[in-house]
Amino acid sequence: MRFALPIFDVASLSLQINSQVILDSLSLKIFSGEYDAIIGPNGGGKTTLIRLLLGLEKPTSGMIKIFGKNIDEFKEWHKIGYVPQRASHVDAAFPATVLDVVKMGRTAKRGFFARYSAEDAACVEDAMKKMDVLDIKDKMIGTLSGGQRQRVMIARALASKPEVLILDEPNTGVDVVSQQRFYELLRKLNRDEKLTIVFITHDIGVIADDIQRLFTVNRKLLTCNNPKEAISCEDMSRLYGVDAHLLSNHHHHH
Amino acid sequence: MFEYDFMQRAFLAGFIIATLASISGSFVVLKRYSMMTETLAHSALVGVAVGLFAGLSPLWMAVIMAIFSAWLIEYLRSSFHLYSDAILAIFLSGGLALAIIIVSLGGAFNNSLFSYLFGSILAVNEDDLVTMGIFGSISLVLLLGFSKELFFIAYDEEVARTSGIKVKMLNYLLVTVVAVIIALSIRVVGTLLIGALMVIPSIAALQYRQGFIKTVLISLSFALSSVAIGMTLSYYYSLPSGATIVMCVIGFFIISLVVNKR
Repeated sequence: MRFALPIFDVASLSLQINSQVILDSLSLKIFSGEYDAIIGPNGGGKTTLIRLLLGLEKPTSGMIKIFGKNIDEFKEWHKIGYVPQRASHVDAAFPATVLDVVKMGRTAKRGFFARYSAEDAACVEDAMKKMDVLDIKDKMIGTLSGGQRQRVMIARALASKPEVLILDEPNTGVDVVSQQRFYELLRKLNRDEKLTIVFITHDIGVIADDIQRLFTVNRKLLTCNNPKEAISCEDMSRLYGVDAHLLSNHHHHH
Repeated sequence: MFEYDFMQRAFLAGFIIATLASISGSFVVLKRYSMMTETLAHSALVGVAVGLFAGLSPLWMAVIMAIFSAWLIEYLRSSFHLYSDAILAIFLSGGLALAIIIVSLGGAFNNSLFSYLFGSILAVNEDDLVTMGIFGSISLVLLLGFSKELFFIAYDEEVARTSGIKVKMLNYLLVTVVAVIIALSIRVVGTLLIGALMVIPSIAALQYRQGFIKTVLISLSFALSSVAIGMTLSYYYSLPSGATIVMCVIGFFIISLVVNKR
């Protein structure tokens, strides 16, 4: 790896809820500049892993370091952009324009009572340009298509000038054409802006060529491969506990 | 009607309440806290009952009781994974029950309690106005100062939290401010009706599908107009002020629905 200090350094991370094991002694490192995907069966702990990394849940045991700091002491949350699952589904009546939503990304940086500065405005405009939503900035968020909303959510995350972007199934409810355009945009951010990107996904086929590392999570971290070495059916069976062909058929119905 | 001091006071109090209720109401509605307003109003009623019973200021006691129950509700909601609407139902009827018991222990002050239930423009005195002015200004400064954070939290609480915003602290701040505003309002609008003044202008404003600032301004103008129209009607036709104001707000709501029908 190019940089010695990982952005995320996770060691023996476990989470139990009511004696049910959600994650079991999971360790991984994510380095600056990576473009990684997390896959795994539903209920396998992918989203929980991300929520632990973001401090939204507390682990039963284990260690999480972010930019070298223990998560409890980490304060620079603006360095991490987060786009949650189903972010493209918003309340249609919510009184916010695209610009209102992207400006939220500057909120924590501005601090209490602080005015909206020229620097804030520049960051917001830059983020909207990158995600190609500048021309719809005055539209109401509830009137947009799923793909447009998704790009707005990412623009909001980019507005705080993060160093890493974490996305949880970014394409739920987005049509196929938008999906491909979306991944091109993500890849471009990773390549041109040196933005580290980690996302949970189901549609691994669409992007397998591009991904740097593929984490497969099912309670444990099962594999951590270079996706160009195609995942074998044996691996898939071990991961999902069912026949891999059956599984891929099943996924087409989603 | 403005030749009477009590009408001047009533209008001033009404405008203060309309401003505070509609601005805080925008956040309350978007956070799905609408029922919280009804519940806190009933908790404030306990304070009124205690105040009347013990010979303390009912308004001050209402403020204290409303804040106390707002914190307790927020704590129960976040710490015990109880259904939040069920918690509100418990506090609403519990508050009312407690108020009734205290009232019955006190015996002879049923009439003044009545004015707190339904609101009375005649009931606003100089001291009330001063209390409203002080608490109202503090509440307004806090709401406006933290509006961008509260707006972000209302839109997406978890993302707000991961971006480094102190969500828990601000949730407590919002319910505290709302509790204070409700306690201040029950003099003018009454316990049973204040929820309407907080929630309905915002719901009506949402029908216009504008950005946040415009929506709050529309809501504010509906609330102020309702107070002005409602109090005027109440003066000339001897109608109860709180109820008349609420019917005006509902009028604006119906107009907004019809105008924006698609």
